[in-house]
Formats: sequence, C-alpha cells, structure tokens
Amino acid sequence: MAKKSTAQEAPAAVTPPTDGEVLRRPAEVLYADQLEALRQNDTETPPRSWRLSPRAVLTYVLGGKALKAKLDGKAVEVPITRKFYGDEAIVEGAIVTLASERALLLVGEPGTGKSWLSEHLAAAISGNSEMTIQGTAGTTEEHIKYSWNIARVIAEGPRPDNLIPSPTMVAMRTGGILRFEEITRCVPDVQDALVSILSDKAIAVPELPHANMVRARPGFNVIATANTRDQGVNELSAALKRRFNYVHIPFVADHKTEVAVVQQRSAELLASYDLPTRLPPPVIDLLATIFRELREGKSADGVSLKKPSTACSTAEAIGVALNSALHARFFGAGEVGPAEVARNLAGAVVKEDLADLAVLKEYVVLVARKRAAKDRSWKEFHDTILPALK
Amino acid sequence: MPRARTKSNDADPLDRVSGRLPLDADALRARVESVLAEAPFWFPVRHHSPAVALHLERALLARRPELIFLEGPSQANDLIPHLIDPQTRPPVAIYCSYRDDDNVLGLAGLASPAPDVPARFASWYPLLAYSPEYVTLLTARRLGAEVVFIDLPHHALIRPAVPDQPPEGRAGGSTPLAPEPEPERLIVESDFYRELARAAGYRTWDEAWDSLFEARAFAGWEEFRAELATFCAAARATADAGHVAADGTLERERFMLRTIRQTLAGRKVAPEEAMVVCGGFHLFLDRDDPRPPPEPPAGTVYTTVVPYSFFRVSELSGYAAGNRAPQFYQTLWELTRAGRADDVLAEHVVAVLRQGRRESALSSADAIAVSQHARMLARLRGRPSPVLDDVHDALFTCCCKGDPKEAGIHLQRTIDEADIGTRIGLVTPALGQLPIVRDFYAQLDDLGLGEVLSRERAFNIDLDKRDPPAARRSAFLHRLRSLGVPLGQLTEAPSGDLTSGTLFREKWALRWGPQVESTLIERNLYGDTVESAALAKLTEELAREHAHAGRTARRLVEAIDMDLPDLVQRAEQVCSQAVDADERFVSLAQALTSLTLLERYAVFRNLRRARLDELIARCFDRACFALPGVAAVPEEQQPEVVSALLSLAEVVLRGGRAGLDRALFAEHVRQAVGSSPVPFLRGVFLGTLTELRELSPEGLAAELSALARAPADRLVTAGDFLDGVLAVSRTSILLGADSLVGAVDELLRAAGWEDFLVMLPRMRAAFERLHERQRDSLAGCVAARYGLAEAEEVTELRASVAAAARLARIDREVARIMERWDL
Repeated sequence: MAKKSTAQEAPAAVTPPTDGEVLRRPAEVLYADQLEALRQNDTETPPRSWRLSPRAVLTYVLGGKALKAKLDGKAVEVPITRKFYGDEAIVEGAIVTLASERALLLVGEPGTGKSWLSEHLAAAISGNSEMTIQGTAGTTEEHIKYSWNIARVIAEGPRPDNLIPSPTMVAMRTGGILRFEEITRCVPDVQDALVSILSDKAIAVPELPHANMVRARPGFNVIATANTRDQGVNELSAALKRRFNYVHIPFVADHKTEVAVVQQRSAELLASYDLPTRLPPPVIDLLATIFRELREGKSADGVSLKKPSTACSTAEAIGVALNSALHARFFGAGEVGPAEVARNLAGAVVKEDLADLAVLKEYVVLVARKRAAKDRSWKEFHDTILPALK
Repeated sequence: MPRARTKSNDADPLDRVSGRLPLDADALRARVESVLAEAPFWFPVRHHSPAVALHLERALLARRPELIFLEGPSQANDLIPHLIDPQTRPPVAIYCSYRDDDNVLGLAGLASPAPDVPARFASWYPLLAYSPEYVTLLTARRLGAEVVFIDLPHHALIRPAVPDQPPEGRAGGSTPLAPEPEPERLIVESDFYRELARAAGYRTWDEAWDSLFEARAFAGWEEFRAELATFCAAARATADAGHVAADGTLERERFMLRTIRQTLAGRKVAPEEAMVVCGGFHLFLDRDDPRPPPEPPAGTVYTTVVPYSFFRVSELSGYAAGNRAPQFYQTLWELTRAGRADDVLAEHVVAVLRQGRRESALSSADAIAVSQHARMLARLRGRPSPVLDDVHDALFTCCCKGDPKEAGIHLQRTIDEADIGTRIGLVTPALGQLPIVRDFYAQLDDLGLGEVLSRERAFNIDLDKRDPPAARRSAFLHRLRSLGVPLGQLTEAPSGDLTSGTLFREKWALRWGPQVESTLIERNLYGDTVESAALAKLTEELAREHAHAGRTARRLVEAIDMDLPDLVQRAEQVCSQAVDADERFVSLAQALTSLTLLERYAVFRNLRRARLDELIARCFDRACFALPGVAAVPEEQQPEVVSALLSLAEVVLRGGRAGLDRALFAEHVRQAVGSSPVPFLRGVFLGTLTELRELSPEGLAAELSALARAPADRLVTAGDFLDGVLAVSRTSILLGADSLVGAVDELLRAAGWEDFLVMLPRMRAAFERLHERQRDSLAGCVAARYGLAEAEEVTELRASVAAAARLARIDREVARIMERWDL
C-alpha cells in the first residue's frame, strides 16, 4: 500500500484570526467610530487622562443624536447607538464616581448587564476595556499587583524589566480604568490587596530598592462588579466598602423595553435554529409579565408575592420562549400559545429549590387566577399549569 | 429614550421646546411683556418656594407698593394681624370651615352622616417661613402697606346637590363635591411642561422647578419675574382647557379680578401704587371675562389660624399641594438670606448623615464624598449647583452599599426625616380659645353628655347603636378615643353576635380629667372640630400604615365606628392594597378578623357586601400562602401566631362562605408542619389540622406517642408539643380523648424520671388550657382506662405515707419549675 503523503496528514497551520474573524471584539474596537465621533464633537474638557468628557461618556452609553465626524479622511455622520438600557441616573452616578476619589462597584442580579456597562465605561473613558482581572476563588494577590519572570530573576535578580505588571499596574501607569470582575468571588485576603491601591493609589514593590513604588497617574480608577447572589460568599470588608461607591444595576425597569428585548432576542434565536415557529406578541407579553412579577415579588396590580430563589432574569424568559417554540414546533401546532409557556415555565423557575414550586403555585393562584376571569391567554396559562403544580 | 440634556439648564425653556409644540413663541413673549408691563404690578409665585420668596421680597422693597393683593382666602383678611403677630411662628395655617346650616346646597345626608346633620367643609392654607405669601405679609408690615386677600372662599366652589343623582355617584364617585384647585397639576399636565421634561430629562416636577428656578442665578428679581411669567404663560397656553374649567380656576380668577378692581376703586388707589402677588398661572387670567364669580352659599363660616407642622405640609402626609422637603427648603431659605447659599449642601448632607449615624456607620469622609459627588452630578446634569435630587442620588451612591430598595430602606427613612424636619408652629395667644375645644364642649351638650363635666368621677353609659342618638354618641366617643383624648374607655365592645343584638351594644366608662383639654389643644393641629380632627388623623394613620393589612383593616373598622363615611371608601381601598402587598401572616389574619367583623354588620352600615366578600376571600388566600412563613417564629411571637391561626380556622370552620378554599388552608398548614422545627408550633399546626378534620384524633395521638419512641432530647419536647395541640384544638379532646390519653400514657411510661421532670411543667401548662368540662372528660377517660368508677364518696387514700410524701414532693418540684419558667 502506498504511503500517504505526510503533507496531506498534517493539520492545517493555525493562523491568528483577522479582525473581522474574531469571535468577539472589545467595545473600543467595535464602537471605535462612535468614540471618535464623540471625541471630535466634545466641547467640554475631559478629566485628566480621560478620552472623553463625562457628558460625552454619558451620551456614548445611553445613545444620542447622530454626529458629524471625519473618519479616515472622510466626512461622515455617525449614529450614537444606545448601549445600556437602564435609568440614566445610574449611569450618571457611575461616571461621576469614576471621576471622583472613590472606586465604582456595580452590583446586581445575574444578567443585568454589569460587565457590559463596565466594559463600555472603560472603553469610553480610557479607550481600553481589556485591563481586566477576573475574580475567582483562585485569584491571588499577584494577579492584582505584580509577579516576576522567575527564570530571569534567577539569572539577573529582581529588576524592573523582570517584573510582570498586573492589569492594575498597567492601568495605574496609564491613568486608565481597571476592571475587576466578580470581586466577591475572591477570598478576603486577596480583596484586601485593593485597599492600599485605592487609598494610596500606589503599589509598593519592596524587591526593587531603587524603584519601590508604582504610583498611579491621574485618571486611574477601578470598576468592580459583584453579583448580589454571591455577596454573601466573600463579602467586602468594611474598609474596602468605604472605598467603593455602590451603584446597583436593577433589571430592565420598564415592561415595554423588556418585552422588546425578549421579542428581538427570541426571534434571533429562532432564526439561528431555523425554526419557522411564530411567537405572537401577546405570548411574549405574558411571558415577560410572569418573569417580571415573579422577580419583583409583586404583581402589576399590587399583589405581593414570594420571590423564587432563581433570578428570573430576562435571559431566562428568552430561554423559556425558545423552549416553548421548540415544543410547539416538534410536538404542537407550530404556534406558541400560553399553554406552551405554561408547560415550559416550571423548569425555568424551579431549579435549585423545590420550595420554588410553592412560590410558582402562589403566583398562579393569587395572580393568574384573578386575571384568568377576564383574559383568555391567562386562563389558558392558568388551566394548563395548575394541575402540574398539584 | 435617554435624556438628551443640552449643555446647560440655563437654556431658555421656550427655546428648548421650540419646534416640538404648536406654540407661537414670539406671540407668547409679547403677551408676557404686556402683562408684566401692566398696572397694578403682577408678581408670579409658587407656593412654598424660597427662591420666589427671596425675589419677591426684593421686588416689594424696590417698588414699595401702597396696596398689595395677595392670593389668600378673602374671608381671612381680619386674621392678617394675627398672622404677622411677633408671637406667631410658622408653620401655621389659615383654617376655613363652612357649615351649611340651612342645607341650601342640599348636601345634608350626602356629605354628612344624616339628613339632620348639616354638611361641613374645610380647607387649609399652610404658611411656612419661606412661603411667598408669608414673606409678603411680613414685608408689607415693614413697608406699612395694606394687604388684601383676593381668593374666592373655598365653599363658593361647592357644587349643590343634583336631585336625580344617586348619593354614591357624588360622595364617592368621580365628581368631587368641591373641586380642589391644583394649579401645579395644570402645569405638570401641560404639553409645554411634558415636552420640556422630556427634552431636559427632568424626572419630577420638583426637580424641574428646582433646576429652573431654585438653583439658578438670576441677574435680579426682574429677570426672575420675567422667566417665571414666561414659563407659566407657556404652561397655560398648552394646558388642558377642560381641566382649567373644571377645577374652579376660572371662578377663582373672576373673583380675584373683581376684588382687585373694586378695592382699587374703593380705596382710591392708583393701579401703579398696587401690586398683585398670585400663582404664576393666574397672571394670564382672562381680563375681559364678563361672567361674575360665584356667590358663596349662606351658612356659618369660621376662619382661624392654627399651628401647623412640617410633617403635615410635606407630601408624605398626603397634602396635595405639599412641599417635598420643608426642612431642606427652610435651611436653603435661612442660609441664602444669610449670604451662605454655598453651605446648604454641606449643612443638609451633614444633617442626613447625623440622623443616619444612629443606625449605621456614616463618617465625615462619607459627607465629603457625598458633597463632591452631588456637585459633580449637578455639573454633569447641567446645573450650576446641586438640587435636592442630586443630593439624594449622591447619598445613595456613596452611602448605600447594595440595592437601594433593600439596603437603602434605612437611608431613605433618614433622608425623609432630615428633609421634612419636625418643626411645629405657634399661634399668638391673642387669637383666643381654639375651635376644637369649643366644638368639644358644644358636642357634649348636644349629645346629652354634659353630665360628665359636673364632677370628677366615672360614670357609665350603655349604648345601642341602632338608636340614632346613641349611634351619634358612640361615634363621638370613638372619635375622641381615636384622637387620644382621655375622656372615655370602651369597657364592652360589640361581641359580633347579630342574633343577640349585642353586635350593636357598647358600654363606656366616662371620666373628665384635666388632660382632656390639653390633649384637645394638641389635636387642634388636625382640625377645628372633633370630627374633622378624627378624620384628618385617621387619614394620616392610613397613609402611614398603608402597607400593614391588619392595621388598615382596623382603621376601616374605626372609620365605621367613628361614622366617617367619606373615609370608609378610602380606607377600604387602602386596605385592599395592603392586603395585596402584605405578606405577614399575622397581619393578614388580623385583617381577616376585622373584615369578617365588618361583614356582620355590613347590612346595617350600608357597606358594599360583594366588595367585602371579595376582599375577605383575597385576604384569606394570601394568609394561607403566608402561613408557612411563620413555621419557625421565636417564642415571643408564638402567641400571636396561635391567635391568627385560630381566627383563620374559625372562618373556615364556620363555613357557608363561597370563595374560601378550605383545602388551600389545610395544604399550607401541612406545609407548615413539614417545615416547623419548633415542637410547640408543630403541635399547633397538627392540632389545627385535627380541628379541620384533616387529621384524625388517632393520627394526632400517634404523632404524640411517636415521641415516646424518640431519643430523650426529642421525647422531652412532648410537653411543648401537647401544649401546642391544646392551644388550638378542642376536637381532639372531645372526640379523641381516648387516643390522646393513650398517647400521654405511653409517653409517661417511656420517660425516665429526669425526662419526666423536664417535660412535666409544659404538660401541666397544656392541660391548664382546658376548661373544667374538658378536663373532666379527660379525667373520665383516664379513669375508664384504669378501670376506675366515679367515686360517690371521698376515697380513702390507700397509698403508703412514703408514696404520698413522694407525690407531694413531685408536685412541689413541678410548681417550682413552673414558677421559674413563668408558667
């Protein structure tokens, strides 16, 4: 038997993806045209080291009128799209904090867009959203401060060239924004490494006797994020809390926006699954209403409810919409109705704790039953789900 | 959509909305100029605005008018000397009441409890130290100028009865008896304001006002006056004409115009020597309106000045034309006049943090961070200096470490306290006896209760509320009780038994004391009559307790006891919302108790039975779902849980009511059993299931006897368990005495001496809960179990002396333990 060509057997050489091929580009690259247009139109003086003024950062995050700008030598009009759906006062508070002495801690339930907002703020303020530390149980003080190139230290001893700066140190040297994701996943000792950084705005390097302090340039600050469900895991010390301003990111505030988000995202997912199934607006509305009310522990007509232990985020609602569509496509008539939602809801709400079943039943008895008397969709939902909860 | 803030809030509001509204800005400006150039000289105001007060004071001092027309109740002109008396200290209010003695409006029985009781109406005009009206009065005194109030008496706006209209369509329907003029509502609902708020990103009207007028620097009072007049002109031009016509604005303006013209003519004062100080909206009244103002109806009009408080003027008290932060604006007023406007931020932040320090660690560093944050926020929002909204946002960002709705509850309360303040006003003694005191004595006479004043001793009265005079006495005494006036004690309340007639019977013990009058004087703050004060106090309590189902339902009962029909509907509504919002089992059960009590005399009181039934069913459902939440409450809360559970069980067992799901109740009691680690509460829940026939007495006894086979640490809890059972269950005693006795017997056999001693006090306390007959029944079972017949005579003790001594020792030991355990 002839021997196969080795050239044919070898795997294709791995080439780095071009910019257009990467799976995900950072905000400052993806929205470079908007950031540049805002910079060109900025009439106010930015704080030191900031690329944009606070007002321009606000416009970048919340969207605004299209701006005329010169990009690559051409005069163009650049629309400034909305990046974050939430109360304007939240974003204002976050921006002002970053211009102040205190660091910013974005707290909220999973799926509320904390990291998303953090990335965009860093991109708009310092043009770099990638100076990031991901907090985990394995994060060490070296990840926060600096480490050494051991081989070179053995050969040459500790020298500034042999020091490997952490994202914190890079942000301090450039007057940029450090992003610290999921800070409460880190153990308290590691968190406390931040106390002196936030107070003194400096990192001591005792191994370098002649250059033993790295001081932050103006503009340096920290955006940390923390999941409210993890807050009890490693709660911040009082000393660290004092150095942070907390900005709470709630779920999408208004029902209409949430419905639009569920509608749009579900349609995209259905398309990606090549599903011809339709999600009628009343069903999306019903679904968004149920998730919102369960999450808030209160119905639109004022009935207080127990909250389930699961987050009931918008993302979960989208998941139920997709499951309902799959159910309708493969086992139903193709169109998603309240009954499909009812069949797929329990799995999304009752996950970790069986007590959530009682929570769901309370919702069905106290809220859905009241509406069922007047509304056909609610009746169908109520009649389908109640027997399953017995 | 995000707020599209322009660079600065200094931009002309008209320019901001240009192109977005069908508004001819040039014509509008021309109209404003023409009005501002008129004689007399018009000055627009907003009530309770320090900025207006400041500029107005300067304008008055600059123009030195001879005569000032001021928006205030025209029937209160005689009170002006008392208002500016040095011994009067704001906050005070002009209080005006009207009584339709001859029923000229035909509202007796509709707006009053009975056709023979005249309808009464009241209105308040609060004045703070920085109210432009109050500052006008003080400045006029300095200038020696005369002030004339020009507003239409409020009772002139009361609509007479329409013969064919049913009473409920008027008293509780959408058409109020007397329209409440709300110029600010007209502004807020105008197209101009809505568009401006959208363009500038104002979240509230207060934020808009403060940004546009309180926080901005003006070149002088002339510029301020022109800006405010332009703003009001634009709002009026785009306001809903229907609302303007419906809320009494036009009638009031006709009266104002006529008063101004007639007074000028009567006093022979040139218009150039006069000034008109009124709401900005009224500057643009129709000067050519040919219609005369309405004439006030005949009747008794009473007007006085009463002390007021910052809380009552605040929006939190429910006052419609309220001020959101009386103390904050007081500080703003005082420091601005002292030339220290820049210190307002620091003063208020420190005031909030000092207040908050009682419950959480807030440092000076926090105060610095909040102040810096507020200033930067204001700059970002295009304001020259922070307004109250910026301060609130900064406080939450810098001091609230979590979700403001949860971690920020204490901070919000602290902010409210610091914003509102606690100041109470004083009225000069020159004004004489307070009206509520006069009303009290008059009512005692009218109701034939004058005897109580004859000597200082208690006397008892027995009232049957089916008798109208007795019902009025009862309502009066309940009102006094609600106001905390220590005249009478309700010694026997209605029992709830409709058939026996005791539902309507009350017994009161009355006794006069010196505290009666002093309390009345304090309560004058609420109103000038016992009725109006009780109404105002109950309204305030409803607002305060709106989240507590049990208390709001109690208030509903009180509204009926006090015969305040106007409030019943409101209380019913608040109670309904509270039932929906409250998740506390005990509170919901208390609400259920009150509501079922009301239901029993629903027919007598003309209550809407269907609505009450629906509310009871909803309250019951919610209580059921809340029940598992009390499965492990600490000992001090257990008695109220037992009482709440009993009331729920009673409603279920009474039966005959549609909409109450017995199975739902039983299901949640079972859930509570499953999740309760507390032996006493487990007994309570299982006992309840036995009462509901959801668990047989044998099943209950089996639960008890299972403890006999449990390890010693569980066995000793049998006393607590049994105590819980007997706290709620009677069925188990009457129907299942045999099995219960068997279980106790098994338990006692299994227990060792030490375990027995631990268990015994609780067990003894459990049996002490029983009535004598029930104890006899149990004793009978014990006797039967041991083959003993009831003895006809005293049986001779056959035990040995040693055994008797041992029994006595056990008894003493148990008594000692019970004493130690406080049983």
